[in-house]
Amino acid sequence: MDKQQEYVLRSVEERDIRFIRLWFTDVLGVLKSVAIAPAELENAFAEGIGFDGSAVEGLTRVSEADMLAEPDPSTFQILPWRGASQGVARMFCDISTPDGEPALSDPRQVLKRNLDRASEQGFTFYTHPEIEFYLLEKPEAGKLPKPVDQAGYFDNVPRGTAHNFRREAITMLESMGISVEFSHHEAGPGQNEIDLRYADALTTADNIMTFRTVIKEVALEQGVFASFMPKPLVNGPGSGMHTHMSLFEGDRNAFYEAGADHNLSPVARQFIAGLLKYAPEITAITNQYVNSYKRLWGGAEAPSFVCWGSNNRSALVRIPIHKPGKGQSTRVEYRAMDSAANPYLAFSVLLAAGMKGIEESLELPEGAEDDVWELSPAERRAMGYEPLPASLSQAIEVMERSELVADTLGERVFNFVLRNKRAEWEAYRAQVTPFELEQYLPVL
Amino acid sequence: MSQREISFATQLRRAGVADTARAEALLGHLRDVTGASMEDPATAMSYLADPDSGLLQLLRVAEAARDAGVLDSLLALRDTRAGAKLGVLLGASIALGDFLVRHPEHIADFAAWPEAESFADVDQRRVLLEAVGADPASAAPVATVEGDAVAAMRVAYRRQLMRIAADDLFSAQPPAMLPEVAAALADLAGAALEAGLAIARADEPDHALTRLAIIGMGKCGGRELNYVSDVDVIFAAEPAEGADETRALKVATKLANAAARACDRAGAEPALWEVDANLRPEGKDGALVRGVASHRAYYERWAETWEFQALLKARPIAGDPEVGEAYVEAMSPLVWKAVEREGFVQSAQAMRKRVEEHVPAKEADRQIKLGPGGLRDVEFTVQLLQLVHGRHDESLRSRTTLEALAALRRGGYVGRPDAAKMDRSYRQLRVWEHRLQLRKLQRTHLMPEDEDAKRVLARASGFATVEYMDEVWQDTRRDVRTMHLDMFYRPILPVVASLSADEASLDDAAARDRLSAVGFDDPQAALRHIVALTEGVSRRASIQRQLMPAMIGWFAQGADPDAGLLAFRKLSEQLKDAQWYLKMLRDTGTAAESLARLLSTSVYVTEALLRSAEDVTWLGDPAALAPRPPERLEREADAILTRSDDADQCITALRGLRRRELARSAAADVLGLIDSVQAAGSVTNAADVLIAGALRIARVVVARAEGLDELPLSMAIIAMGRYGGQEMGYTSDADVQFVFDGDDPRAATLAVKVAQTVQRLLKAPMAQPALEIDADLRPEGRNGPLARSLASTTEYYGRWSDPWEAQALLRARPCAGDPELIERFTAMIDAVRYPTELPASALKQMRTLKARMESERLPRGVDPQRHLKLGPGGLSDVEWTVQLLQLQHAHRLPGLRTTRTLDALRVATDEGLISSTDAGELEAAWVLATDLRGALALRGRSRTPDVLPGDTRELRVLAEIMNVRDTGAELLERHGRATRHARAVTERVFFGWEDGA
Repeated sequence: MDKQQEYVLRSVEERDIRFIRLWFTDVLGVLKSVAIAPAELENAFAEGIGFDGSAVEGLTRVSEADMLAEPDPSTFQILPWRGASQGVARMFCDISTPDGEPALSDPRQVLKRNLDRASEQGFTFYTHPEIEFYLLEKPEAGKLPKPVDQAGYFDNVPRGTAHNFRREAITMLESMGISVEFSHHEAGPGQNEIDLRYADALTTADNIMTFRTVIKEVALEQGVFASFMPKPLVNGPGSGMHTHMSLFEGDRNAFYEAGADHNLSPVARQFIAGLLKYAPEITAITNQYVNSYKRLWGGAEAPSFVCWGSNNRSALVRIPIHKPGKGQSTRVEYRAMDSAANPYLAFSVLLAAGMKGIEESLELPEGAEDDVWELSPAERRAMGYEPLPASLSQAIEVMERSELVADTLGERVFNFVLRNKRAEWEAYRAQVTPFELEQYLPVL
Repeated sequence: MSQREISFATQLRRAGVADTARAEALLGHLRDVTGASMEDPATAMSYLADPDSGLLQLLRVAEAARDAGVLDSLLALRDTRAGAKLGVLLGASIALGDFLVRHPEHIADFAAWPEAESFADVDQRRVLLEAVGADPASAAPVATVEGDAVAAMRVAYRRQLMRIAADDLFSAQPPAMLPEVAAALADLAGAALEAGLAIARADEPDHALTRLAIIGMGKCGGRELNYVSDVDVIFAAEPAEGADETRALKVATKLANAAARACDRAGAEPALWEVDANLRPEGKDGALVRGVASHRAYYERWAETWEFQALLKARPIAGDPEVGEAYVEAMSPLVWKAVEREGFVQSAQAMRKRVEEHVPAKEADRQIKLGPGGLRDVEFTVQLLQLVHGRHDESLRSRTTLEALAALRRGGYVGRPDAAKMDRSYRQLRVWEHRLQLRKLQRTHLMPEDEDAKRVLARASGFATVEYMDEVWQDTRRDVRTMHLDMFYRPILPVVASLSADEASLDDAAARDRLSAVGFDDPQAALRHIVALTEGVSRRASIQRQLMPAMIGWFAQGADPDAGLLAFRKLSEQLKDAQWYLKMLRDTGTAAESLARLLSTSVYVTEALLRSAEDVTWLGDPAALAPRPPERLEREADAILTRSDDADQCITALRGLRRRELARSAAADVLGLIDSVQAAGSVTNAADVLIAGALRIARVVVARAEGLDELPLSMAIIAMGRYGGQEMGYTSDADVQFVFDGDDPRAATLAVKVAQTVQRLLKAPMAQPALEIDADLRPEGRNGPLARSLASTTEYYGRWSDPWEAQALLRARPCAGDPELIERFTAMIDAVRYPTELPASALKQMRTLKARMESERLPRGVDPQRHLKLGPGGLSDVEWTVQLLQLQHAHRLPGLRTTRTLDALRVATDEGLISSTDAGELEAAWVLATDLRGALALRGRSRTPDVLPGDTRELRVLAEIMNVRDTGAELLERHGRATRHARAVTERVFFGWEDGA
């Protein structure tokens, strides 16, 4: 029993915790939970808790699989919305097979494996997400979603629901040890953005999972509804999750080189080149729902074309300008990902694409200075800005043939994801939408 | 005069001088330089390891002393004990002689060492710190010496080294003194780093911001250092109170670097040794210095098994003692927790194996450290035992190999004689290593090859002759090698089974610990079996007692140790009266190991051996495990059929023959002597011989029943499907069809009777296992007659058959019957199966059929990915693709006319019908699936031999049977990738789909 485990056991005693939720994530990024009583905790540390591991396969599981959930004591947190005494706590779990090997189907293990690969090259991967989401009135079946306010970008809404909401949510997040960098009202009505502080990718992914839960819980408490759906309003902007990334070699930011073009080191340039080259292949992971493509191709600031630029908000990869002397904060921002992605898998493929760029010593193409949306299709083609997949179906097709994604996710998860996504596309295609009824029924 | 000279040369030669003329000349020079002569030079030189070079060094030292004006200090040593030490030192170490030549002022040291004080009593830290003008009493001493502080430190280091070496070499019992020497060397290395740190502080004004500790790892951490080896260290630092953490870490990194460089950078006074910090988290890519918490976080999250093992030796050797202690305190619980990881011992053993495999073959026999029977074997065995039992018994947690060994003996974890032998071997190996290194102060662990160097080593380590040293070297290595098994497994045997009273015998709990550490799931039951096997006074029990420790080790390496041990007990009970059995296990090199492997991996082979225990004899003779060539089996079958005309007797014998060949192939397969394709070939041969025999018997039986002398028809049996392709599995049915020819009106009826009789003979329940016959691939399938005439068959294929039937015929291979009929049949089907062209409609039909099969034939509830035959990229994908190429091109390219998948694929590649990349993907997937099917059958646990198990443990067993090193997860991953690629090829080549369609 190590000290961290002891600390957890002691806290459970002292705080009179009645249940411990063991959290894990399925391949789609949906949070799953097994609750255990404190009495089982010691055993859970020693041997893991057995459960049917096929739960992580998403909606298309075939057969049961015995797996063990092994709680990670460093993620122990009391869930603040469940009250301070007689409370409930949670820990994230690694899923492993009964013989103690990491389960191939566990997204958290997928990310760990990829971080491990990077660390073999001497790199640590840091990320920092800007998470957008909508606050809506409680949804009613058959009705369009209705935002809680009509404010805009950075508007300060006096006594607005959103304002209270963000204060409450941030307090709760901080009480769970998740540092919040920034929060403001986003461009859409009812849309908010909260930025999480820079951390290593595994912690960040865990934090995103927690974040989504906290946001939903706080919304419920306040009688509203929070949604991370990529594009809930036809006329409102979508909810993206722009993600800032950097690689560190020990304490040194490997992306920074003083005096170089944009202060970008060769490693950074190759990393970006990798992101660009493999962007279409990984899109089914970073933008995993049918609805994701309505954001991706819905204009506004969503990046639909593969290019990079310094401070160019229409580019897929943006290099944020940092203050002089802040070389450690050199980073690249990937703007395609949306708030509904599975963070474990999405970080994995982003890292792998970038690492592949380093491995293959890819040349970084010229940066884009124009607003890519303003260019004509012919101009874009001439300048070599490839489009990202236009639909989930296209994205699946590209991903299917991707050795990179198969290798990054492992054959199992790769398969599960494909299976889930094909099923989703087929279900979607079978729909007759209000659009069709409106357009066709009267005239056809 | 001349008389005397000759005798002096002889004296010198007797003293071990090689070049006596030169020695006499050197002695003359020495006299000239010192103005004095030696009393009895020959006797003096006889004590030297290398008298020739020793004498030369003495002369050089004398010259240097003369030039420096300190000749007195040399002359003062004449005929003293201190002088003798100097001589011995010069004879054994050229490098230390060179040191005195550089610094003749330190010749005086020899006289200055107090007689009553041992080198072990010296406070090395104080001596080296004072040498650089630092205050030993300070917690963070700073060097104040003027000028080259590094050189000052190194000279001080070498003076101390000289003292240790002199006493070591002068000792009458070097092995006895070894622990003290090794500890002093470790302390001295720590002191050098401490002084290096003091020098570093002098150059770093901000040094007070940080508290840096240097942790010794490996031999230095264990206080059992060599004269020269890399010193393994880890740096840990905490900020001084109130200091900024980042800044403090930066300063600490500078200090760490500078301290290491003080030891290993080239300089006026040569470097001491390499400082190696690569054991740190993340190896050479990781940060050089980390905080204690950061170290701990790394180990908790990322570290590999071996990294924990390395932590066992961690000890603060220099720098801030509190931080050092905090580091060790934070880490040591992790060591003992790591052992609880599943498979810890196995992964440690695998690591050890890998290291051994990395030793270049030509060095392996001379490697004192890493080779088989070398130092690493001793250290490894001791560490493993420490890790297994140290969890519960804290007395075993020593960092030092010999102390740990003694603790293991005291605790009763290893036998007294074993411990003593191990202790002796370790000391001896280390003494050799030390002597070799002292010569030039070089890092070496190789026994010398050339005679002269060997002679020097023998003399330096107290052996009269090279031959005697060689003998002891071989014995030591053999002892160490065999001792691992003995020390690890023998004490598990119960007390009553001890070979002698001195043997250690673990109590139940400790024995269970050890069994469960090596992978027994039910150690309690395992202990019971071991007791049953070894208890008693019978000869059998006494042989088992000798065998058992090694066998336990081998079972532990297998996939299912518990099952293996149980099967071994059963088999031994069955064979308890067979004299040859235990004799073979005891006396034949690999028999016992092979048996242990078979029993602990393959249920199929275990059952085969339990059914026919005498087959175990094969293990005594590797040639007996080679597949029997078909001709030999045919001769045997012929003899059986000629010997007897009793149908039951004959068929029993033939079925027995097949059972035996299956068992033989299976055993050879599991032992890695043949691959799965070869195994499938010999399984097919055995079926061929049995079926041919059954046909012969059936003809006689039917003829007798009909009252005929001879049946008025000729008959043949055609192997189809995988059987036709000679790719049969251990548990496969035999797909066949029956053909006959004859004008007699009764021929059709009789032929069916013969076919039925064949089926009955092969299937009827009896002592020897059945072979299921499946004739469904015949014309018209189940609706057609069981046996069909050649004429009717010809007509059928000519008129009716669908393309898939032509496809099925690609695998048709006549396996028994009338040669002339076979020839005509073959000519007939060749026209069908190798058509001049494949019409588009037929191609479409094939593709449709295949697509339909994919959706229909897969059993419900089975993950298609796991289905070896019908899943995407499975056997069927590969085979259909190859068969399509055959249908399209075999008419033109006779090379394609084979029933075997891989042969056809290779020809197709050579002919350019398929790219070699695509063919490579298909072949890889096919071979892997075949291997997996074979392994599944051999494992014998699954009722669905075509479906990969979901349990990664079972998958690991399959990998074990396949003799690959994959973990279960890796195997699954590999299979996933291979089938995905093969599927892509199938979609392109067989289905003709464009990419991405």
